Parts: sequence; C-alpha cells; structure tokens
Amino acid sequence: MTFGLVAQTFVNGINIGAMYGLIAVGLSLTFGVMKILNVAHGEFLMVGGYMAFWLFTLFDIDPLLGLPLIGIALFLLGAICYKLLFSGLARFHEETKVKNTLLVSFGLFLIFPQVARWLWTGDERAITPVYSGESFPILGVRCGYVPLAGLLVAVVVILALHLLLTKTYFGKSIRATTENWKSAKLMGINVDRTYLITFALGAALAGLAGVLVGMTQSVAPDMGMQWTLKALIVLVLAGIGSIGGAFFAGLILGVVEAVSANLPYIGPYTVALGLVIFLLILMLRPQGLFGKEG
Amino acid sequence: MSNWKHLSVSGGIIVLLILVPLIFTRTDILTFFFLTLLYITLSQSWNILGGYTGQINLGHAAFFGAGALAARYIWLHFGLPLPLAILGGGLAATIFAMIIGFPAFRLRGIYFVIGTLVLAEILRLVFYTILPRADVMPMRLLGAYSLIPRYYLSLLIALLTVAAVYWISRSRLGLGLMSIREDEDAAEASGVDTQRYKLLAFAISTFLTGLAGGIYAYYSAAFRAGGLFEPVWTFDAVIIVFVGGVGTILGPVIGSVFFVLLKQFLSLYLPGGIHVAVFGVLFIIVVLFLPGGLVELITRFRKRTSGGSIQIDS
Amino acid sequence: MILEVKNLLKAFGGLVAIRDLNLAVNEGEIVGLIGPNGSGKTTLFNLISGVLKPDKGEIRFNEIDITGLKPHKVCQGGIARTFQLTKPFMQMTTLQNVMIGRTYGSEPVRSMRQAEGECERILEFVGLGGKRLSLVATFGLVDRKRVEIARALATKPRLLLLDETMAGLNPSEMEDALRLVKAIGDSGITLIVVEHVMKVILDISSRLMVLNYGEIIAEGTPQEVVRDEKVVEAYLGE
Repeated sequence: MTFGLVAQTFVNGINIGAMYGLIAVGLSLTFGVMKILNVAHGEFLMVGGYMAFWLFTLFDIDPLLGLPLIGIALFLLGAICYKLLFSGLARFHEETKVKNTLLVSFGLFLIFPQVARWLWTGDERAITPVYSGESFPILGVRCGYVPLAGLLVAVVVILALHLLLTKTYFGKSIRATTENWKSAKLMGINVDRTYLITFALGAALAGLAGVLVGMTQSVAPDMGMQWTLKALIVLVLAGIGSIGGAFFAGLILGVVEAVSANLPYIGPYTVALGLVIFLLILMLRPQGLFGKEG
Repeated sequence: MSNWKHLSVSGGIIVLLILVPLIFTRTDILTFFFLTLLYITLSQSWNILGGYTGQINLGHAAFFGAGALAARYIWLHFGLPLPLAILGGGLAATIFAMIIGFPAFRLRGIYFVIGTLVLAEILRLVFYTILPRADVMPMRLLGAYSLIPRYYLSLLIALLTVAAVYWISRSRLGLGLMSIREDEDAAEASGVDTQRYKLLAFAISTFLTGLAGGIYAYYSAAFRAGGLFEPVWTFDAVIIVFVGGVGTILGPVIGSVFFVLLKQFLSLYLPGGIHVAVFGVLFIIVVLFLPGGLVELITRFRKRTSGGSIQIDS
Repeated sequence: MILEVKNLLKAFGGLVAIRDLNLAVNEGEIVGLIGPNGSGKTTLFNLISGVLKPDKGEIRFNEIDITGLKPHKVCQGGIARTFQLTKPFMQMTTLQNVMIGRTYGSEPVRSMRQAEGECERILEFVGLGGKRLSLVATFGLVDRKRVEIARALATKPRLLLLDETMAGLNPSEMEDALRLVKAIGDSGITLIVVEHVMKVILDISSRLMVLNYGEIIAEGTPQEVVRDEKVVEAYLGE
C-alpha cells in the first residue's frame, strides 16, 4: 500500500469511527447509569436518520442545520419511551431490572423497523445536500466535507457531554445515581428525573449519529440492529460504563475496520472479523480495554 | 386437573396429531401444522434456558442455523442417513454453545446476552460470505418430495422436546435451574454449582434447537446458508415463549399455535412485516403487565368461571 | 474444633475489612458475633461461605482446608448460611425452595419423593407446614426468613451461619425466632449468629465474639464480654 492509500484508509476509518463513538456513548450512558441494555438503541439512530431525510426533502432544511431539531425530537422520543415503558421497572432489584428492561427494549426493536417501513417504505434513503460529494485534498488525501463535518459534530457533542457530566449539577446527580441510586435518593437527588433525562440523552445522541449516517451512508428501516451491534462491540471494547473510553474505542473500531476492508482475503469478512475480535475480548478481558481491572 | 386427566388429554391430542396427515391432504394446511410443531421445538428449547434458568439467549438463531447447516451437509453432501444427520445437527449446535457458554457464563448478567447476540451475527455474516449460493435439494429428492415424513419427524421432535421439559420441570435438575433463575447467590449457597448447571441447560437447549434446525434442513427445498442464522429465528422463539408463558410447559405450545395463527390472520389484512410490530406490542404488554403470558390469562379465566381453588402448575 | 480461621485478611481496594483474624469454633457451640455496623461481620460470613476469596489466611472446616472453595462446594461440605437481606427463591413454592437445599446440599438426596418427605418435616420444624405449596413471593418478611432457614437446614449443615435473622421482627416474632434458633442448636448443629439485638444475642450465645474494624477485640462468655472496656468503647465511643 502507498502512503496515500494508508492515510486515506485512516481518514475514512476515523470518520466512520466518530459515528461508532457517538452511538456507543449513548448506549454506554444508559447502561452505565441505569443498567438498561437497550437493544433498540440503534432504532433511535434510524429514526434520527429518517427525520433528517424528511427535513431535507420536505422542508429543504440542511441536515447539519437540522441537527439541533433532531436532537430535541429524539430527546423527546426517548423521554416518552422511558416514561411509558421503562420507568415502572426502575424500582425492581437489579437482576430483574436488567432482564425486564432488556426485554422491553427488545419489544421496541421489533416495533420500530416495521413502523419505519410503513412510514418511509423499505427503500434505502440518502441525504444529499449539494456539497455532499465534494472534498478537498490534504497531503494527497481526499477529505470529504461531509465526513469532516460529521467528525467535528461528533467531537463537539462528546465534549459537550463530557462538560455536562463533569461540570454541572445534573452531571453530579448522574454520577451519584450511578454509584448508588438509593443513597442518591436519600441525598435529595431526583432519581426518576435523572434516569429520564439520561435515557432521553442517549436517544438524542443516537439520533444525531443517525443524521451523520444518513449523510455519509444511507438509512433503511432495518439498519438499527447493525448499529446496536456496533455500539455493543464498542461498549465491550471500552469497558461497560466508560464513556470517554467508548468514544476512543469507536474511533479504533472504525480504523481497524477500514484497514481490514482493504486487506486481501480478509476484506469481505471485515464486519465478521470485528465481531470475532469482540467475542475474544469478551472472553479474555471482559472489563474492556479502557476499563479498570475487574 | 388430576394426573389421569392430564395424561388422557395429552394422549388424545397426540393421537389427533398423528392422524393429521390422514385428515388433511392440502399442502398448505399440513405445512401450517409442520411449522407450528417446528416452532414448538424452537421456542420450548429456548424456554429451558430463558424460562427455567433465566438466561436470555438472543442468539438462538446461531444454534438453529448450526444444526440446520450441519445436518444438511451430513445428509446431502456427505450422504449419511437422515437420523444421523439430524443428531449431528444437534451436536453441532451444542458444540457452538459450549464455545460461547464457557467464557460468557463465567460472568453474570448481560455478558451472555451480548455474547449470544454477537455469535449469531458473526455466523450469519460469515455464511452469507462463504456460502453465497442457494443450497438446493437435488432433483431426485425434489421429485419424490413429500411433506408427510417431514411432518412426522417434526411431531416426534416436538414431543421429545415437550417431554424433556416436562421431565426437567419435575426433576432435581429443574429445581437447580430454577434456583439459578431466582437468585444465583442463594443457589450457590444451597449447593447448586451454578456455572455447571447453566452450561448443562444451555447444552440441552441448544441440542434440541439443533434438532429443529436438522428438521428444517430436511424440510427446506432451497435456502441460503446465511438465512439460517437470520435473527428472526431467535425473535420468533422469544416472542412465542413470552406471549405463551415463560417458564411453563404449556406456554411455548400455546404460544406457537397462537403465533402461527395470528401471523396468518394478520398477513390477510395488514401489509407484510407489520405483524412483527403487532407481536412487538403484545410482547411488551406481556413483559410489563402479564408476566405469565397466555397461560396465566387462561388460568385466571378458568379460576373466575369455575371459582375453583388456586393451583400452581410448575 | 469444627471451624478454624487463621490469619485471615481481606481488603477492598485500600479498605481492610478483615484484619489478620483468628477464630476457632467447637462442635455444638452457639457463637454470637457482634460488632458495630461495618465491622466486618457479613464480610467474615462471605469469606467462610466462599462468596469472597481471602487475600491471605486459611479457613479449615473439620480439619480440611476450604479456603477459596466456591460457595456450592462449601455448602456441600456442610456449611450453610442465610443472608442479611433475605434471598429466598421468590417464584417458587416453599417446598421447592427447601427441596433445592435437600437435593443439592451436603448428603444430597437424589430421589425426589424421599426429599419431599424429609423437606415436609423440616417445614413443620420451622413452622411453615401449612404453606408448603404457596409461592414465596406472596410471603411477608417473617415467613421469608423462615423459608431461608428451612432451606439452609435442608442442606444438612454441621455449621450454620445466621446473618441477622431477627432484624425487622416485632417482639413476639422475635420470641418465635429465638425458640427456633435454640431448637436448631439443640439438634446438634453448630451455629454462628450475627445479631444486633443485644437481648437476643446474650440469651442464646454460649460464647460471644466482638468484631471491630475487622479484628476480634473481645471474646468470652456473654457476661464477660459485656463488661469488657474495649467493647463498651467500640459501641459507645463513636
């Protein structure tokens, strides 16, 4: 491989990795804070992608400008889902809670793609603003505007989330609730609201990732599970509950996949290979690469 | 109900099921019965691990697919007798189960869920890539194709699976499995080797799933290998178990009949695929409000109409 | 000597929960274990029953080294326990709960019919004879505790660890529980009892040990221990 190809592969990998990071951070948040393993997490990404598609084709709103709108819409959708379906399960003891919330999210996963197919048909859709194909060269590497914007959006969102979690009262209440929700409640923290906002935030993050996916790839009703799996891989790579680690693990997965896709023989098995590596890590180092020694 | 009444009702149903191919000659009706029986095996085997032992396996398709593919190769491509092929399917599924089960069960909680989900996805992707072409039965077999032996085989394995669960639920093994479902710490403290019994339940569950796969390999005229690992095999089994009644013997049986009938009915009135959403809604309702599924609903109804005493079927 | 603990050490991160602890229990004793909250009583139970592995030290039961064995092995070897926060098998009947202990514990019975007969006698013994087919999930705290004790007894232990069996009971329920614990002791099972209620612990213990900051600070007959200055200080000094 020439330098150009290596660098190009790397850049592509980072671009995809940013989306992996974004979706994984949301999943990590909901699992880390309230032990909900949301297998419908990728469905929020799918809905976000379709909403951006709608805004763009029906109202001519640029998907990047539409990001805040979609973030808010998915936040509300997440909040509604949580309030209606998950909040009642929060009071169960941990093993039952983990199992029942997993099952409810499984039910959601069955519903979302079918509703999407009904609303938007089964066709693949891509969001293509005028600048979508354009790119500029740096050091012989072509860097598309859209992927670059995607990377920027992801970095900004993750930084904002980091600030939210470390510098605000809400962030403190999230961390306290994660440590021990019963004590947090005794200390006067509104645990129910913290859970609600955390879940909604996770959905919003997935929705934002969906816009980026819609711009760089395409959206389809059945895409959710693929992205949930990606998020799970990243989650296990990073160590469950490690939010900063999740973003970096996302980038690593993106680059590894991009490189392996270019290798002879291995190329067609790239996705499967990622999953195998994931299983190996699950067996050998279940606390993840960035997690603490368990 | 007394044991005798149970026994005679079950016996009556079995006799009727044996007579089905003589009564119905239409292919679509026989196929309907065949599929219902296949679903009973698929869901009842999931129930052993998910319902009795409390371990949620979201990669059931991996073991169905492994069983089907192994059986198909042993039977058609290696030319060995069919019973051997179907047994081989069961064993292949169990081998995969132990590969994932050993590491995943060392850890509690969600690791098993994630591990099984990912295993099925790996196998699906790999087999779509390495076996992209459809596996078609040779002409000599297609020419002589008859549903009847397939139906009886499906009936046999379904009965075997239900009988296995009946035995488990009344045995020491079943007590151990249920204790794991209820509380692993307390199970260990009562002398149950939780790791070992989880693996055992997983082995039994996947062996029976593999047999179901083997029957599918015998039934299906043509399939793509990757399609055997499609998540729908998992999802259907999980839906059936919960809607029917998780952790009960009758649940998966009633659930399978209900599932196949409702799916058929919905496909008449709704666009394709929407039935999945309907089942998704039903599934959530059951998980949140009716944890015992249809079995619980029927018990409640019977109690109200007969005013009879409370009875716990375990 | 039925149980012997030598130089046991257990730390969680930087926090030492059990510090170089030695103790010995003789067959047939009822040993009371007291100490302020967080003094390491439950940690000690978890170490003996195999839920936790010690960092250092040795645990011998019947002259056999059981250090680091898994909980089910410890149970099969003849040590049973109850949990501070009860953990009965909720969605199972009382009888099934006890059957698990009988068919998996030490001297397990493989025949379900034989186990059933023996379990019914155990249920009578703890006062649950009339509720053998009820789901435990329908029970209140008192009966849940009874189920847990019955399940532990069904494993045929030679040593039984009772972790705060009296907590949350009203005075008359406590009287019943007290009688039950004494009857268990009379049947020849060695007991280590963790309890907060002083009246109870003084009444049933043949010997008392006081744990503070992971160390045994006093040991002796109940009368001796309550007069010990270190004990008074540990309880009142904070």
